Amino acid sequence: MQRRWLLTVLAAGSVVAAACSTGGTGGGAPSASGSGGTSKGEIIIASDLPVSGADASDGIPTQNGVQFAIESTGSIKGFKLTWKGFDDTVNGAHDPQKGAQNVQQMLSDPKILGMVGPFNSNVAAAEIPVGNKGSLAMVSPSNTNNCLTQDTFGGKPCTDPNPKNIRPSGVNNYFRIAAPDSFQGPAMADYAYDTLKLTKVAVWSDNEIFGKGVADTFQAEFIKKGGQVVVRQDFDTKVTNDWKPFLTDAKSKGAQGVYAGATSGTKACIPNAQMAGIISGSYMTPDGGVNSQCIKDSGSNSADLYGTVAGANAELNPDAKATIDAFKAKFTKKDDIGSYTFMAYDCAKILIDAIGRAIDANGGNMPSRQQVVAALAKTSNLKLTTGTYTFDKNGDPTTPTMSIYHVQGTDWAFIKQFGVGGS
Amino acid sequence: MERPIAAPRATPIRLRGLVSSRVVNTIVLVLVAVVGVLVIARIWHRGPGYFAQILVYGVANGSIYALIAIGYTMVYGIIELINFAHGDVFTLGGFVALALLPMFGVKEGQPTSAVILPLLITLVVSMLFCGGVNVLIERIAYRPLRHAPRLAPLITAVGMSFTLEGIMFLWRGPFFLHFPDLLPRARIVLGPDTTIGAKELTVIGVAVVLTIVLSLFVERSKLGKAMRATAQDRDAAQLMGIDINTTIALTFFIGAALAGAGGVVFGLYFNSLSFDLGFSAGLFAFTAAVLGGIGNIYGAAIGGLLIGMVQSFSDGYFDSTWTQVVIFAVLILVLVFRPTGILGMRVPEK
Repeated sequence: MQRRWLLTVLAAGSVVAAACSTGGTGGGAPSASGSGGTSKGEIIIASDLPVSGADASDGIPTQNGVQFAIESTGSIKGFKLTWKGFDDTVNGAHDPQKGAQNVQQMLSDPKILGMVGPFNSNVAAAEIPVGNKGSLAMVSPSNTNNCLTQDTFGGKPCTDPNPKNIRPSGVNNYFRIAAPDSFQGPAMADYAYDTLKLTKVAVWSDNEIFGKGVADTFQAEFIKKGGQVVVRQDFDTKVTNDWKPFLTDAKSKGAQGVYAGATSGTKACIPNAQMAGIISGSYMTPDGGVNSQCIKDSGSNSADLYGTVAGANAELNPDAKATIDAFKAKFTKKDDIGSYTFMAYDCAKILIDAIGRAIDANGGNMPSRQQVVAALAKTSNLKLTTGTYTFDKNGDPTTPTMSIYHVQGTDWAFIKQFGVGGS
Repeated sequence: MERPIAAPRATPIRLRGLVSSRVVNTIVLVLVAVVGVLVIARIWHRGPGYFAQILVYGVANGSIYALIAIGYTMVYGIIELINFAHGDVFTLGGFVALALLPMFGVKEGQPTSAVILPLLITLVVSMLFCGGVNVLIERIAYRPLRHAPRLAPLITAVGMSFTLEGIMFLWRGPFFLHFPDLLPRARIVLGPDTTIGAKELTVIGVAVVLTIVLSLFVERSKLGKAMRATAQDRDAAQLMGIDINTTIALTFFIGAALAGAGGVVFGLYFNSLSFDLGFSAGLFAFTAAVLGGIGNIYGAAIGGLLIGMVQSFSDGYFDSTWTQVVIFAVLILVLVFRPTGILGMRVPEK
């Protein structure tokens, strides 16, 4: 009797543990029937985003954009168009290996002709080689690390990752529409120096591909402007809880603000709450912190919080108003919409456009993945909600946009946006 | 064929035995001395005020590790089991407090006088709850395996750790949870560039009071005597009429109550919790217990303080990328020279 009771408890426990360790992939959603027939078969556009982890405050609003774009399109040149969502979260955080597995899984489904994502640059570095071998078209709304597409970053050659090494087939299959970090870090550095009038700042990073890269470019630009970076630290945020020694060090050296090269999943804004009583000054984060989680993590210390987003604000585009209204009618909660929702919507639209041209190129038949990648590379002057997109030879947008946000009350408020020219 | 291989092998082993103790020790000592000089130069350069400030943060951080480490060490001392679920019991303490505080209507920004009573009640309830959970874990996962091979309860301990993490994950989700910033922000000036806040005082105070109460209990009370007797020789203690099961359950209860208190003060101090916090915090606390001498309550307290201080000094003076390396380098150094930890092990006799 006793043993059976014990077994029951253990079995229940292991079920709970198993449920938590598998991130679980979202199933495909039924598509709305759009105009045109759907007799020729089905084409699936997948997404791979962190929709259950600590990054879910970014991942879910971004996924909503993809889902909305595909379901509101419904069909394409006689094919039924559906969406299938994948989740790259393991144990509550975005995970490169999980992302690579997801892409492998996408390759095994011949109906999947492209994917939107991933969200995080380190996940992209693991996914691109897998997708590249299978010629899967990838479009990311938010990856910003330069070395994913370019040979040099901040004047140094890219080694980890290196664009050639992660593209074994030699043909590029990966495209993005966000402005690379060589713009994102400097954009905040310029704003800090010119507008916030800071001359001494402390910089920390989460030591990941994205966080460290953006912190490095912030630091370089801030020094170039004539400012001083008084302390620079890189933390293993999985084990670090205490930022007080770092903040004390910064204060003793006269820091007027802190820049965090991190995302909400790597504790970007938790030091901001700990800053109360040590430094009273601005706290700045890159796009991974421009979300509701960051405001929650900051507690009562969110008043002086600034962030960059590596894309444009769709709400400023009068042509996008109808799309945004339709989106808001379908996704009604405040947290349903995030800083990358319409960037992701545009990524899906870019893929739909490319698939359409690939179908035409293949005489109206189901195109191959290679044909979709070839059509995607030729994307030119495509006018969408967050900008007009053309890809350069690396797969980067030719005219990316940066925006700056800051917290007002309990929400992120848009300050300004500007084009940052070609890469 | 075997002889020629075996013969040359014997010589280097003997040689290594002769060389090792002196040469290796000298090399290690020289390295330690060089690092020591560099550290002192760096500390000197930044002045005493900054040093004292980092020390304050280190002691506060270390107090939390000490509270967790004591539970590890008590359980190991009595049944020689590394209770992997202990770190998660610590997290659970914070989660319970996070759930209880809104029930009292406690919010950020309220005056301290309005917050203090709910906080005390929360602290006590969290401690009792964590104690109860740990007793349950012992009953379910460890007691039935007390006479099984040593690896079996180790694996159930890992299972229990995942189970607790899973429950907390399902309860509050994967997000970082903001813990309300309730303690007053007032700071007392201790000297130039050195202040101690109400937060640090609370953390240190809770740790000191609980450690003193616990040590008095273990050394003066009858139940404490039973615990010590069980730790020394379980069979003999049983022959003397001590109820082993109750005594072991009590040990689990007390250890978890301290960890639960640790979880609450962690939340109050760092203002952030997550379901998987127990993994890293538990690892460092276990390291602290080994560093101080496993089975030894004072050792765990000292080990915890030391690790907290090493962490703060590494972050405050050097490169935080190296913090973990420094912590484990200190651990290795201490164990090389004192294999039983700083204050010596206290484990069951065989």
